Amino acid sequence: MKVVDVVCPFCGCLCDDLVVEVCDEKVVKVENGCTLASEKFLGDHRLQSPILREGFGWREIGYEEAISVAADILLAADLPLLYGWSGTHGEAQSVGVHLAEVLGGVIDNTSTVCHGPSILAIQEVGHPGCTLGQVKNRADVVVYWGANAIEAHPRHMSRYTTFTQGFFVKDAHLARTVIVVDTRRTETAEIADEFVQVEAGYDYEILSALRAIVRGREDVISGAVGGVAKTQLIRVAEICKRAKFGAIFFGLGLTMSAGKHKNIRNAIELVEELNRHTKWTISPMRGHWNVYGSNEVFTWISGYPFAVDFSRGIAFYNPGETTSVDILRRGECDACLVVGSDPGAHLPRACAAHLAKIPTIQLDPHVNATTHLATLQIPVAVSGIDAEGTAYRMDGVPIRVQKLVETKFPDDTEVLSAIYRRVREVKGQ
Amino acid sequence: MRVLMNTGRSIRQGSYVERKNSQAYYDEASACRMHPVDMMDLGVEPGEHVRATGPAGSVVLHVLPADGVQRGEVFVTLGPYANHLVDAETRGTGMPDFKSTSIDLEPTGEDIATVAMLMEACGGVQYRGRDLE
Ligand code: SF4
Repeated sequence: MKVVDVVCPFCGCLCDDLVVEVCDEKVVKVENGCTLASEKFLGDHRLQSPILREGFGWREIGYEEAISVAADILLAADLPLLYGWSGTHGEAQSVGVHLAEVLGGVIDNTSTVCHGPSILAIQEVGHPGCTLGQVKNRADVVVYWGANAIEAHPRHMSRYTTFTQGFFVKDAHLARTVIVVDTRRTETAEIADEFVQVEAGYDYEILSALRAIVRGREDVISGAVGGVAKTQLIRVAEICKRAKFGAIFFGLGLTMSAGKHKNIRNAIELVEELNRHTKWTISPMRGHWNVYGSNEVFTWISGYPFAVDFSRGIAFYNPGETTSVDILRRGECDACLVVGSDPGAHLPRACAAHLAKIPTIQLDPHVNATTHLATLQIPVAVSGIDAEGTAYRMDGVPIRVQKLVETKFPDDTEVLSAIYRRVREVKGQ
Repeated sequence: MRVLMNTGRSIRQGSYVERKNSQAYYDEASACRMHPVDMMDLGVEPGEHVRATGPAGSVVLHVLPADGVQRGEVFVTLGPYANHLVDAETRGTGMPDFKSTSIDLEPTGEDIATVAMLMEACGGVQYRGRDLE
């Protein structure tokens, strides 16, 4: 059976034009997707049943026992950390926030180690963004700053920017100018009309220089800034000012390098400057397929997009203090529930070491790095393949991912709801 | 040799992200891409091993030449190998220095640890079940 308009639950592009062939409750063919999509849909490497660590070995257990062990661990903790959430659908994220509240724990999503700094900057100066549809139909200049779209978001350029026809941009490949700013000559840089290779750690200075030039103060710039010649900066500023509609997409090259949220603030302020001349927008290249959704869901329930601490009985947010890496580094949490993420692989070693020290429960379809640190792993259905739910694309557009095949695995919402019910029962609520 | 470590995604890292215990993921996540001239300075050929030491600890990687990487920098895909080196300090932002960690490289004949071994070094217990690949 062929299913059309399938949504890909891998990266923040959330492409919704895949054609998937299903045979005997298995995906057998994927059309239109990129390599990452094919691996996601066709890979079948699931953990088959919940596993519980006992001493130096593991025991397979049933779902009922797994849920009760998980609830007991969370109930016994003074400060449980509920981490992850970018790899699951909104309905499960919502149960997660309620669970954190009833437990008096901290809930944080993976944006804490991707676009958390972007959110901090947006909270300082706002977000002149737009949907990807606007970019596709209007943008004649596109900037990728610290973002290697070809490897991290393989279809971003063919669906929304460089290679796709827009309503007002007919001959896309020729009509759009692509500027790439990066420390590495990436594959994305190879197809840029203008590649600006910066010295690592100098993005802030380069953004400031561009702001000065756009303001007509190129006299204050020296011959080169952060490894970039003044002549190139002037050329880039001119291209930007001449654009009819420009879009900056920035990645972790800005959020993770020196300056972090201040880099993003400077980039947003460059956009503000450019908007005195023409129309410009700026958007983060959100990584995981529903990481944006975790910010949305956390915000509509608690008021804060990530790092929400309920230990005071109210929602409290203070990045640097209530963020996962800081909590784990300081050894503050005494249990952890991981959903749709792999902190063992993606957080610094000290955080992994603390996860190994405390009881860590993981809800994940696959054996990953965190499995080796965990006390309990509960395999769940994969959203977008054998579970359905709501996800938010990187530009904030909600899209529903489908259930394509029947499964024996419960989904994240079912498992989390069962844990939540049990916790409330024990608490007499 | 002291270099600045940059981390990030690659298409191979992304392709095997749900199979972190596979050979392909191991090969990709433990690769240290560097400028060919820096490789000459360090005295290593493609595929040879280096011991990388950073603020959080030390890990063995294999080197690959990459023209796109500037001299004095290396690129390691995000993952457990790079994170064995990155400090958990966030300077009040919640975000570690994933793209600006200074590390030291020296040639070595030591083997590269698997992901499970790295997690064990963090205090975990290796899962060796049938669902591993
Ligand atoms: S670009 Fe992203 S969402 Fe689109 S098919 Fe590839 S992995 Fe999936």
